[in-house]
Amino acid sequence: MIRKNNTKKNNKLIDYVIIGNSAAGLAAAESIRELDKTGKITVLSEEEHLNYSKPMIIYFLTGSVDLKRISFKDREFYRVNNIDIRINTRVKSVDIDKMSLTVEDGSRIGFSKLLIASGGKPIIPRIRASGAGSGEDVSFNAVDSMNYKKIGGIFTLTTLRDAIRIKDYLKKNSVKRISILGGGLIGLKAAEAFLDMGIDINIIELADRVLSATFDRQASGIIEEKVKSRGNKIYKNNTIEEIYITKGNISGYRLKDGRKMECRLLVIAVGVIPNTGFIYGGKVKINRGILVDDRMQTSVKNIYAAGDVAEGLDMLLKENKNIAIWPLAVMQGAVAGNNMAGGNKKYSGGFFMNSVEILQIPSISMGLTVIEDKREKDMEVLKDFNPDKHIYKKIVIRNSSIIGVIMVGNIERAGIYSGLIRNEIDISSIRENISMENFGIIHLPADYKKHLVVGEGIEV
Amino acid sequence: MPERPSEVKMKKIYIQEEYCIGCRLCEIYCQVKHSKSKKIIKAYREELIDVLPRVLVEEIGYNSFAIQCRHCADAPCVAACISGAMQKNKNTGVVTCDEDKCVGCWSCIMVCPYGVIKRDLSGKKIASKCDLCVDEEIPVCVKNCPNEALKFIEKDGNERNENDKKK
Amino acid sequence: MALKLNQSEFIIERDENKCISCQVCVRQCSNDVHEYDSKGDMIYSDSLKCVGCHRCESLCPTGALKIKERKSQFRTNYNWNASHLRDIYRQADSGGVLLTGMGCDKPYTVYWDRILFNASQVTNPSIDPLREPMEIKTFIGRKPDRLEFKLSRSSKNTGVRLKTKMSPQLELSTPIMFSAMSYGSISLNACRSLAAAASKFGTYYNTGEGGMHKDLYKYAKNTIIQVASGRFGVDADYLNKGSAVEIKIGQGAKPGIGGHLPGEKVTKDISNTRMIPEGTDALSPAPHHDIYSIEDLAQLIYALKEATDWSKPVGVKVSAVHNIAPIASGIVRAGADFIAIDGLRGGTGAAPKIIRDNVGIPIELAVASVDERLREEGIRHKASIIAGGSIRSSSDAIKAIALGADAVYIATAALIAMGCHLCQKCYTGKCNWGIATQDPYLTKRLNPEIGTRRLLNLLRSWSLEIKEMLGGAGINAIESLKGNREHLRGIGLNDRELEVLGIKHAGEA
Repeated sequence: MIRKNNTKKNNKLIDYVIIGNSAAGLAAAESIRELDKTGKITVLSEEEHLNYSKPMIIYFLTGSVDLKRISFKDREFYRVNNIDIRINTRVKSVDIDKMSLTVEDGSRIGFSKLLIASGGKPIIPRIRASGAGSGEDVSFNAVDSMNYKKIGGIFTLTTLRDAIRIKDYLKKNSVKRISILGGGLIGLKAAEAFLDMGIDINIIELADRVLSATFDRQASGIIEEKVKSRGNKIYKNNTIEEIYITKGNISGYRLKDGRKMECRLLVIAVGVIPNTGFIYGGKVKINRGILVDDRMQTSVKNIYAAGDVAEGLDMLLKENKNIAIWPLAVMQGAVAGNNMAGGNKKYSGGFFMNSVEILQIPSISMGLTVIEDKREKDMEVLKDFNPDKHIYKKIVIRNSSIIGVIMVGNIERAGIYSGLIRNEIDISSIRENISMENFGIIHLPADYKKHLVVGEGIEV
Repeated sequence: MPERPSEVKMKKIYIQEEYCIGCRLCEIYCQVKHSKSKKIIKAYREELIDVLPRVLVEEIGYNSFAIQCRHCADAPCVAACISGAMQKNKNTGVVTCDEDKCVGCWSCIMVCPYGVIKRDLSGKKIASKCDLCVDEEIPVCVKNCPNEALKFIEKDGNERNENDKKK
Repeated sequence: MALKLNQSEFIIERDENKCISCQVCVRQCSNDVHEYDSKGDMIYSDSLKCVGCHRCESLCPTGALKIKERKSQFRTNYNWNASHLRDIYRQADSGGVLLTGMGCDKPYTVYWDRILFNASQVTNPSIDPLREPMEIKTFIGRKPDRLEFKLSRSSKNTGVRLKTKMSPQLELSTPIMFSAMSYGSISLNACRSLAAAASKFGTYYNTGEGGMHKDLYKYAKNTIIQVASGRFGVDADYLNKGSAVEIKIGQGAKPGIGGHLPGEKVTKDISNTRMIPEGTDALSPAPHHDIYSIEDLAQLIYALKEATDWSKPVGVKVSAVHNIAPIASGIVRAGADFIAIDGLRGGTGAAPKIIRDNVGIPIELAVASVDERLREEGIRHKASIIAGGSIRSSSDAIKAIALGADAVYIATAALIAMGCHLCQKCYTGKCNWGIATQDPYLTKRLNPEIGTRRLLNLLRSWSLEIKEMLGGAGINAIESLKGNREHLRGIGLNDRELEVLGIKHAGEA
């Protein structure tokens, strides 16, 4: 049942309430329904769309998908699984003792079990500004998370609404060059989208290379070269120190190194943090994200968390870490839902992984790929670099098992490595083969290979 | 309460490594099946570059085997798919990629532990993998293997233990 | 030398309109005949290397290949035919003994094709094997001189009981057995197929001189083990595992000489099975070095019977040579429970071409004369006769039985059922069908599941055909046909041939 939430009366007790209508939330709902055919499930979404996939908003920007195709679950899904979805319903606060939550419009919803899958929200750094708004009396001396929406031309790119707003802005204004603050994943994905639309870009990155969290210098180099070869500019070891505003719109900015740039559209993509602002009181333990055990349960019984908002086990670092990626959100959501409905599934941990294609160069990175020197003692790194063909492969090994892989240019069969990482397979017998271009299952240690070739599907 | 949802009973393709002769006829017939004309000579002459085989033959020395999508119970590609294109059919158990929905993000390639998903760059960028030839009685690779190394059978959990014991 | 006097024996016709350059032929040819050129996207074929095994033709998905024999390209000469010329060229090149595989292919008379079987008409009604009982069960072993019965007086058993103690017998569900092919000359997968088919059908296969591989222990009940001159793999365990013991004096393809398995082919597995060191040549000497007279043979036969506790039939296998009749008589008197005769056309994994093609006599004549001689001497019942050496069809089998055999041995036919195309290059060890090779890349090609199925089909179809022919002749038990020359007539044979075969000419009543 789809309802725009405009009732003000308090609802009766709901068996399962899920805050968040994306990967983790819906995986949980599906998981619950598999075990509990009759319990009431209510999903709350603060956004105005029925369903859409956040990673796909880039494709929406370029026009490859429309509003219909951007959904990853259709109306049928909610109906078949008997999920009560309430859009435009933003949660203001959660009362742990009373096991109920309060929506922004004042209504209250009680629950037996709660799943917090509220995802992440963009980080907006506080940047000095100068200039005036549309009226003479409004002036800005800084741009921050509270006011950035009031300035024309400044956007984030984490929701569908952001993408729609950018598209509208581009329609109304002729923009030849866009600046992107942040050369991380979102920044680069946005850069690609704009390049596809024929718009030039400036990327401003704080570190000495793009994708600094997951790529090393060689891998970043290949991407940077491709971006620059199209006439685009990347400013490394740099950031924006001051934003100039004219008549309520951004007109330019000054970089750390002093240079001043003209700018009519700025996308801020420096990162996301878990969206936990509506949780107060300290009973639910929060680090960067909401801490959860191997059943996705928080420090409070019957309250679970999953997805970009949660901080579960990183199996490579062997500690809890917030890893905000789609596949883990789905896996965590499934585990959370299963446990909420009385099942016993466990989350064995995750590790970072990402697939991104920039200007026809596909690249995949997974696990721990950027190693600080002090840990390098028990680690081994294998590399295969072919700059002419834009091909790069790096494998990081710790104690005879693979903990990190970067593949640029040739991503054939990359998933085999993720299987090796996840199952912590000892690869000492096949060290020569793993960095080969045609590395395949046939090279794997005999018993793991037999398990793959002869056995069933994998267990997650 | 059950540990996990009941798995769909389905026939899957299994390879007997000791009888694979590395001829790659399975790859050829897979290409033909997924071509436009579905006729071997026409498909090869006119469409070859564009048609990817969904089964992959790996070979070292005299060891070889064919491997394709396992249609896993808890398929990681389905979990990783950002567009909802990868779905496991609840009745048949077959995992298929909906070409209309696929956007070519390659997340599935990133997570498939068998590495049996390929990038199809011939038209729109999409992920390409074995679809178990659902409109045929038995998959064409199994039917055309000259040495009957590929089998299309239903195995339950017990069968796997037997194989383990054998080796 | 660079001048090639021997041109290719086969032409490879590739229909370019059908060839899709899939390279299956390139991968499947162990003689490296086909080569793929990526620049031109074409496949080139070197017909000089082609042995005519048809593997590529069989696997080509579009039927683009045709392998044809290239007929003699010399001036017509009925005396010096192409085969002579080629052989001399090869010998002038190499200075060695020319080897070959499989059976004699020379145009000597094939007597099976000159013998006709009978059918019933008015005087003796035919029998429909699908509706009435038809017995083709056969027993191999020594039959007693007479049968004594005793009347039973106990309250449980009324009637008669057999008093005579029977010698050990092999019970066959059909008068066809698989002849000796050693593990070493053929692959383990081929052995597995033969053993499994024999076991499932209720007949027997023969280990040959290669010993018994442990994977085949489970088929022991259907195994005839061979004790050859090299005594490979022979120990008390081996003797007791089999169901019958066969002393191999000779084989039809190479009468009078021994055997040789080159050291390169003696892999770890073969070394274990034959009980010889890995990498050493497996030499089977020409005579058994402990059998220099018929008395020595009798000694060995009885020694083996003792070693097996008199529980298994012990027989002897000989090639069909000129004096086969008195030789057979001697063997039977020496105590053999069965005698297996291997004719001129018998196959082999490797033999000198000159011996294969010129030494021995055809099995048809050998069986007839042995059966006749043993009957004359009144000792026919003391041993079963097994005829081998190119039994090509169920009609050959039934004619062999009518000429006097108890059962037939097939080997070449079995290999053909599994894919052999008689290219006669078994001795190279590059059999593309995975049969006569130990190369692990090639042996994979014979899937025992398929091999077993095809052999079972072969046995089944031949058995049904035998029943049909028996029924047509008004006979309802194969026993009644044994040595029953009246059911055969010769056609196009001269008086001497008819006399040796002991049959009348077609048209004679």
